[in-house]
Amino acid sequence: MYPAVAALILLGSAFTFVAGQNWQIAEGYSIAFSSNDASGIFKGFKGTIVFDEQNPAGSKFDVTVDATSINTGNGLQNKHAKSDEWFDVAKYPEIKFASQKFVKAGNGYQVTGDLEVHGVKKSITIPFTFSKTAKGGQFAGSFTVNRNDFKVGKPGGDVGEQIKIDLSVPVTK
Amino acid sequence: MFKKSLLLGIVSGLLAGVAALVYAKVYHSSLGADFSKVAWPVRIMVASLFGGVLAAIGYWVADRLLKGKGEIVFNLLFSILSFASLLAPFATKLPLDIEAPELFPGMVIPMHFFPALAWFTLKPLFFPNRLQPS
Repeated sequence: MYPAVAALILLGSAFTFVAGQNWQIAEGYSIAFSSNDASGIFKGFKGTIVFDEQNPAGSKFDVTVDATSINTGNGLQNKHAKSDEWFDVAKYPEIKFASQKFVKAGNGYQVTGDLEVHGVKKSITIPFTFSKTAKGGQFAGSFTVNRNDFKVGKPGGDVGEQIKIDLSVPVTK
Repeated sequence: MFKKSLLLGIVSGLLAGVAALVYAKVYHSSLGADFSKVAWPVRIMVASLFGGVLAAIGYWVADRLLKGKGEIVFNLLFSILSFASLLAPFATKLPLDIEAPELFPGMVIPMHFFPALAWFTLKPLFFPNRLQPS
């Protein structure tokens, strides 16, 4: 009797953990950054996205940005950005984000999680929206980070310390 | 004098443009870098022609103002300005969807010398008497 009950409980809990919809990252995503001096995009982006509009608490973002794929539109700036003074891509080739908590906020949502850049991990909150499209859905978000928090570049200088990040990620089921 | 100078500028510009187009084609086929979105054929031709016409005006002005030394000053200035213009490709920010922007200066920099090269090559044909020792 007890093993059967235990099995039922385990089965039930398993369904609880897989409550969200699993989404595949589609082509056409944009991971853009901008400051007063430098701006650009990261071309490489992958990861796991589990999200349910009705139950955001059961969602999960575990994504990675390829730091070596940075493109500012200028060859010299790209080389500089990849150097050990900035992203040091030889040592830290990936930027990672792992979600911890989701909440509904107004018309959108907020995800709090650990952002790891340049080997420095910090908890941040990203506001985002999710809209359904014919092919699946579209995540969009915008937030600001202080590059000094992640020891990216030297404090001060021409490049602003507040870096605005704009995300647009189409997804399919 | 001005007509001859202008004609030399136009012919030099056209020759430089053709050379630049050939070089762009070779660069694209050998390295796979495609910058046709920012350096398309008409733009390359117009820029080369502009360089040639500007040189023609500069040559005429230098000759009128400096007489005998105009040629030397013009040649020096043309070379220096061509060299100084190399800063522009390094500072250019390309659209973000263009791959490998670090290869862009390698394509454009030689083109900056083509008008001067064409000018110095063709000049004896337009001003043959200037070759004679005074």
